[in-house]
Amino acid sequence: MALSREIYQALEAIVGKRNISDNIGVLETYRSIPAQGSAHYGPSEHWTPLPQAVILPATTDEVKNVTRICNKYGIEFKASTTFWSTMGYIGGDYAIQIDLRRMKSVEIDVKNMTAIVEPFAIGATVQAEAMKVGLNLNIPGVGCSASTLANFSSWIAFGPNSISMGQGSENILGMEWVLPSGEVMRTGSLGSGDGWFCGEGPGPSQRGLLRGIFGNAGSTGVCTKMAVRLHPWPGPTSLPTRGSAPAYKMDDLGDNFKCYTLCYPSWEAWARSIQYFYECDVVYSGHRQFNMFGRDLKAYMLKIITNPDGQLADLETLSQDPYLQKQNENMKFEYQIIIAGYTKRDMEYKEKAVEYVLEQTGGWKNEMMLEKDMHDYALLYLTRMGHKNLNFVMCGAYEGTFGLSGNVWKAIQVAEEAAARKKYWEQNHTHIAATGGESAMGSLSGIGGGGATGWEFFVNFDAYDKESIRGTYEFINGNQELHNKYGFGPDFCRWNSDVRHMNGYNYTQEEHDAMFVNAPQPWVYAYQYKIREALNPNNLCGTYLRTVDPSKLEK
Amino acid sequence: MESMKQKLVGIVGAKNVLDSQEILESFSKDQSFAVPMMPLLVVKPENAAQVQELVKWANETKTPLVPVSSGAPHFKGDTVPSVPESVIVDLSGMNKIISINRQQRMVVIEPGVTYEQLQPALAKEGMTLSTSLRPKANKSVVTSVLEVEPRLNCLHQFNYTEPIRCTEVTYGDGNQIFTGEAGNGAKDLEKQWEQEKWQVHSNGPQMVDMLRVVIQAQGSMGIVTWASFKCELLPTIKKMYIVPAKKSTDLEDFAYKVIWSRFGDKLYMMNRAYLANLLGESSDKIADLKEELPNWVAAVGISGDIMLPEMKVSGQEKDIAEIAKLAGLKFLSAIPGATGEEVLSKSINPSGEKYWKQTKKGAFQDIFFITTLDKTSKFIDAMYELAIEAGYPTEDIGIYIQPQHMGTSVHLEFNLPYDPDNTKEVKKVKGLYEKASREMSKLGGYYARPYDIWAGIQLNKDAQSYEILKKMKNIFDPNNIMNTGKLTLK
Amino acid sequence: MALQDFRPMMERCSSCAGCKFIPFEKIKSLRFGENCPSIGYYNFMTYSARGRFQLSQSLLDGRAELDDTVTEAIHSCTSCGYCDIGCKITRYNLEVLEHNIEQKAYAVENGKTLEGQKPVMDNLAKENSMIPGTKKANRTDWAKDLNLKDLFKEKGEVAFFAGCKYSYDPKLQKVAQAAVKLLQGAGVDLGYLGAADNCCTGRAHQMGFYKEFEKGAAGNMKAFQTAGVKTIVTPCSDCYHAFKRQYAKLGSDVKVLHVVEYVDQLIQEGKIKFTKAVPMTVTYHDPCHLGRLGEEYIPWEGKEKKIYNQIHTWEPKRPRYNGIYGIYDAPRNILNAIPGVKLVEMERIREYSWCCGAGGGCNESNPEFSAWTASERVTEANATGADAMVTACPWCKDNFVNAVDEDGNKIEVLDIIELVQQAM
Repeated sequence: MALSREIYQALEAIVGKRNISDNIGVLETYRSIPAQGSAHYGPSEHWTPLPQAVILPATTDEVKNVTRICNKYGIEFKASTTFWSTMGYIGGDYAIQIDLRRMKSVEIDVKNMTAIVEPFAIGATVQAEAMKVGLNLNIPGVGCSASTLANFSSWIAFGPNSISMGQGSENILGMEWVLPSGEVMRTGSLGSGDGWFCGEGPGPSQRGLLRGIFGNAGSTGVCTKMAVRLHPWPGPTSLPTRGSAPAYKMDDLGDNFKCYTLCYPSWEAWARSIQYFYECDVVYSGHRQFNMFGRDLKAYMLKIITNPDGQLADLETLSQDPYLQKQNENMKFEYQIIIAGYTKRDMEYKEKAVEYVLEQTGGWKNEMMLEKDMHDYALLYLTRMGHKNLNFVMCGAYEGTFGLSGNVWKAIQVAEEAAARKKYWEQNHTHIAATGGESAMGSLSGIGGGGATGWEFFVNFDAYDKESIRGTYEFINGNQELHNKYGFGPDFCRWNSDVRHMNGYNYTQEEHDAMFVNAPQPWVYAYQYKIREALNPNNLCGTYLRTVDPSKLEK
Repeated sequence: MESMKQKLVGIVGAKNVLDSQEILESFSKDQSFAVPMMPLLVVKPENAAQVQELVKWANETKTPLVPVSSGAPHFKGDTVPSVPESVIVDLSGMNKIISINRQQRMVVIEPGVTYEQLQPALAKEGMTLSTSLRPKANKSVVTSVLEVEPRLNCLHQFNYTEPIRCTEVTYGDGNQIFTGEAGNGAKDLEKQWEQEKWQVHSNGPQMVDMLRVVIQAQGSMGIVTWASFKCELLPTIKKMYIVPAKKSTDLEDFAYKVIWSRFGDKLYMMNRAYLANLLGESSDKIADLKEELPNWVAAVGISGDIMLPEMKVSGQEKDIAEIAKLAGLKFLSAIPGATGEEVLSKSINPSGEKYWKQTKKGAFQDIFFITTLDKTSKFIDAMYELAIEAGYPTEDIGIYIQPQHMGTSVHLEFNLPYDPDNTKEVKKVKGLYEKASREMSKLGGYYARPYDIWAGIQLNKDAQSYEILKKMKNIFDPNNIMNTGKLTLK
Repeated sequence: MALQDFRPMMERCSSCAGCKFIPFEKIKSLRFGENCPSIGYYNFMTYSARGRFQLSQSLLDGRAELDDTVTEAIHSCTSCGYCDIGCKITRYNLEVLEHNIEQKAYAVENGKTLEGQKPVMDNLAKENSMIPGTKKANRTDWAKDLNLKDLFKEKGEVAFFAGCKYSYDPKLQKVAQAAVKLLQGAGVDLGYLGAADNCCTGRAHQMGFYKEFEKGAAGNMKAFQTAGVKTIVTPCSDCYHAFKRQYAKLGSDVKVLHVVEYVDQLIQEGKIKFTKAVPMTVTYHDPCHLGRLGEEYIPWEGKEKKIYNQIHTWEPKRPRYNGIYGIYDAPRNILNAIPGVKLVEMERIREYSWCCGAGGGCNESNPEFSAWTASERVTEANATGADAMVTACPWCKDNFVNAVDEDGNKIEVLDIIELVQQAM
C-alpha cells in the first residue's frame, strides 16, 4: 500500500518540502544489504524493503509530530542515524524511514562530566568536543563513526574504554525519547525539569523499559536526546596526529600515555592477567584489537595499515618476512592496553603495575608494537576507536562469530576449539578469508570495572561474491552447535537472526511466539510484549523487540 | 480471616505466620512521619518458591503485600502499609549466603543477609562489599542496594545500580524470573554455575532491564529472593584523610578534581553536625565534637590491595595532597576531634544496636535527593533559611554530600535530629520536613527514591513519568498488590 | 569503465560513513567534522558516495529511473573527491570518485543533464570556453601586453596555460599577468599556445561530459605536440588536474606544474626574492584539484586477484591515490617565505580539505548548493581569525569572493600570486 498524498502532505508540513522524499531513487538509497555491513544475523544478500518515504526531522517536536501521524495511520517507522547497520532500517512495506542526520548537537557540562547529545553526533565528534575540556567517552567497538546516542540507547556499546568507563548502558543519564504514540518520555531527573544528571526513577527506573543488555534497536520510538556520562581525559585538547592518510599516527600525546601489546605464553596466563587488570583500576583502555586480522596475518596487516603506501597486495610478500612471522608467534595470546597517568606518580604506579602483572603471569610486551610508529598507531586507534574501520579493511564485509562474551575463564576453554573449527573451514572451503583460524577480538571488559569480556571471532568475506556470502552463512550457522555445547546461548552472528527474516522483513507475532516460547526463562519475552502493548500499542517499529504473546505462556 | 491464615500456613508453615498484636503493631509504624496502619498478618517465607506462592495467592485474593527485609527500626515509611489488611512479607529469615566466588569477585545472597553477617564471610575470601554510610546493623544488604542507598565510592559506581548485578524476582503478577545475565540461562543457579556463569552482568536479560523495574520501588513491583553483588578486594592498606573547610563550596573544586583524577576509593563531604553525629556515640560526645570539629570536611579514603599497595597509596596521598593545596586546603590524617582512622571505621562498619542517627536526640528525619555538586550550596542556603523560619536550630542540621555514579551527580542529605518525646519539637520538625521537601523540589532537587510524601511531590512535578510508572505497575503488578499505595499520587 | 563495471565496488561498500566525515582521527570539532558538501547540503543519503553506489545499483537493475530528482542528485556533486580519500582511509579497493563521475556520465549519456549545465556546455562547444558568454576571439586578450612567445611561432618548451577563468575574468586576468611576469622575472622562458589556447575541458570531465572532455583533450594534446611543449605551467588547479591526471590517462607525457610549484622552486633557488613585508594573518584553502586530486597519474593495467580465499586485490599491484602526494607544501612554503605573513590553518586541510563549491560545474548548475558550500568554508576560515583566505585556484577564489559566513561576514580572498606580488 502506497502512502496517500494526504499523509505525505501531512508529513511534508512538519519538516518542509526539502526534508522529505518519496522519490524511488532516493528511497532506494535507504535500503540495506546485510552482507555489506555488520548485521549480526548472518550475512544475507537481500535488500531490506523499500520505504514509502524518507523524512528528516530537525527537532524533537518534529519527530513527535511524525510519529503521531504514523500512529494515526498505522505506518511503520524506524529512525536511524549513520545507517551503519541493518538494524536501523525498516522491515515492512507500509513504512517510512526517519533519517536523524539533521539532529547533531553536543553540549557539555564540564564539571559534572556530562555531554548532552543528539542522534547524529558521532563518537568522534562527541570525543573531540569532550577533549577540548579534558574529558573523554566510552566509544564502543563499532567505532567513532557511529552515533553515540544510537550506540548507547539502541544497542550494547562496549569498547576499549569500557573497563575504565563502563559500557553504554552504564553511561546513560537523562534521556528524551519520543514514544511511538508521539508522547515524549523524559527519564529520571529530566522528567521533572531538574536537569540531565540522573536517568533513573523516579522510583522504579523507567529507562529499564527501553534498554536492557541490548537497546531495543529502534523498536520503541525514537531517542532524540541523551545525556551521557563523560570521563577524564588527561591529554591535550585535541588529538595530535602525524603522518599521512590512511596511516595517521598519534603525535606526541605526552609521557602519561602508553599503549602496550601484552603477550602471554598461554590462554591461562592471558586470562589470569586480565583478572589482575579487572582488580586494579590500572587500564584506561583494553582491547584485543589487531587479532581481528587473524592469528596468521596480524603482524603483516599491521605493517600494511601503518604504511601510507601499504596495500593488501603486499600481504603475500610480507608473509615471507621471518621477523614478522616471529611477531605473529610472539603475539599469539595478546591484547592491547592503554595506561594513562593523571600525574607523574600515577603513571609510574601504572607502569609498575603492568610490569607486576607480566611478572605474575610470565607475560611480555611485544617488541614490534613498541616501535614508535606501531605504538603511536595503536594508541591512536584505541583512543579514537576505529578511526580507520579495520572491520572492513580486509574484505569489505565481516561477521562476528563465537561471541565468547562473559566469563573470560570460560571463553578461553573454547577458544582453541573454535579456532580449529574456523581454520578447518578456511582450509577446506574458500568462502571466508584464511586468516589463521583464531581471530578473536573485543574488549577486555564489556562492563565497567571488568568482569565480562566481549569478544567475537572476525570472519571476513566478500559481499560481491554470492558464494562467499552463502558459504559464510553456512559456516557461522554451524557454529551454533559449539555454542550450545558450552552453554553460550545464541552466537554473536545470530544476535539479530530472530528479529527479521533473512529477506529483510519483519517476523510475525506467531513466528516470534514459536521462537521464544521455549526459552529457558520465557517470561521476559512476555514482559517485552506487554511493554510494547503499553508504549507502542500499534506495533509500529518493526520486530527487533523480541516478544511472546503472554497467553502462550499462561496456557 | 481464619481461612486466609490457613491458606498462608499452607504456604509458609504455621510457625511462619504471625499475628500477635505486638508483632503487628511493630510493623504498623516506623520512625518516620508516615501514617501508621496495622497489617493483617506477618508471614515469613523461607524460600523463593514460597514467595512466589504468596504472590500468586495475593493476586487471587487481591491482598496487599508489603515486603520487608531489614530488621526494625525503619525510617522511611516504605515498610508501613498504606492500605488496610495488608500482609507483611518478612524476608529477614531468608538470610543465606548462597555463594561466594573469589575468582569472579561475586557473592549471591538472600534478602535477609545483613552487612554484619556478610562482611566477615567475604573477608575470609579476601573481599568486601561496598557499603552505604554506616549502615544499620540489621540492614538488609539486598534492600540497601536495591533502594540505591548511596555508596561511599562513586568511582566504582559504573552502573547506577552498583554493586547489584543479577536477581531472582517474583513480580507482582506472580511470575518469577532471573534478571540480568542470569535471565538468559536455566532458571537454576546450580546449573548456571556448572556452566561457569556467575551472574556478573546486571543488564537485561533482554532488551529491557528487569532489575531496573524493582530498584527504588519500595517493594511495589516485586520481591527479590536472591541477588548477586560485585565485591571489592579487601584492602591490605586503608587510610582516610580529612580535608577541613569553612564552607561546603570551598570543597567543590577539590572534590571535582579528585573525582576527575580517579584517586581514592572513598569520597564524601559532611558538615560539622553530621560528622559529630557519625562519630559521637552519645549525645554528650556529639555536643563535645561539635565544639571541636570544623564547619565542613571532605573525607577521602585511599586503599591498596594486591597490586603494589604501598606504591599506590603513597602516590595518591601525595597527589591528593597537592590537589588540596592547589585548592587552598589541607589534607590531614587527623583534625581536632577526629582521626581519619575513626572516620573510616565509623563510615564503613555497621552501626551499633541503636542506629547512629538516633544517638543525638532519639529520632531524626532525613530529607535527601539527587542534584549536582555545583548546585548543592543553593539547597544548603535554602535549608538554613527554612530552618530559621521554622525555629529549628541550624547548627543541628546535619548535611551529607555523597558523589555518586562516578561523580555525575550527588546525593544531598539533610539530617534533622529531634526528640520524639517533645511534641512541640516533633511538630516543628514535621512541618519543616514537609515544607523543606517541597521547597527542595522547587529548587530542582530530584527525588529519585521518592519515599513517603516525596512520591507526591516528585510525581506531581512530572506527569509523563507518572503515566509511564502507572503503565509499568500495570504490567508487573496488574492487581496492585505489591506495597499498595506507595509511589502514587494520593 | 562503464557504470556496470563498478558493480563490484557498489556491492562491496561497507557503509562505514567514511565518505561523509573528515578522517575521524582528524576531527577537532563538531562544527567542522564533516566532509561531503553534497550530503551536507541536501542531507539525504542519496547525495553521499555510499548513496550514489546504491543508487547506481538501483538504476542498473531498473528499480529506479533517471527522473528529475535522481538527475539532480547525480549532478549535485562537486567532484571534490573527498569521499574518495575518506573511503580509502578504510578501504583498499574502491574508487568512489571515479564512480561518482561515471554515474554523471551515465546520466549524460542518457540525456539527463541540468538546466544550468547547458549554457556551459554550449559555450564549450561554440567558443571553447566553459564560462558562458565568453568568446574564443577574446581568449588571449589577457596576454596581449605580455612578452609571451606564441609557441606555434617561436620555439620554447614551457607553456603558460591560464585556463578559462584567468583568461576571461577581468580581475583574475591581472593575476595571470602577474604570474607570467613573476616567472619571467625569475628568468623562465615562457610561451603560450596563442590561437590554439583552448579550454582544458577538465571540468567537462568532472561533470560527466566525457565526449566533450575527450574531444578537448585530444585537441589540446595535439597542440602541445605540434608546439613542442614539454612543460605546462598553470595557475588554475582544475587545469592542473586535467593535464596531470586526466590527460596523462589518455597518454599525455607533458610535464605539468602548477604556478605554486614553480614559484616555490624559484624561491628555494633564490630566483624570487621578497622585498616587502606583508603584515597579514592568512589561512590557506587547498583547492581539491591541486591538493588531493593533484597526484600524478601512474599507468596500470591488471586484473583482480583474490588472496587468502577472499581478500580481493590486484595483480600487478594497483596504484592507489590516497591524496597525500598532492600539492600541499608548495603553497605553504611560499606563504611562510613571505615576510610578515602568518599562516594559520583551518581544521579541514590538505587531503581532507573542504571544497569551495565550484567543482563539478556546480557553481553554474546548482548555484545555491555551491554558495552554501563556499559559505561553510568562509565560516571555517573566519573561525581561524585570519585576515584573508589565500588559495591557488580561480574557481575557488571566485566562489569565495561572493560568499559570506554563517554570520553574514565576508573574508578577503586572495590568489596566492596576489600575495606574492604584494611582497615583491
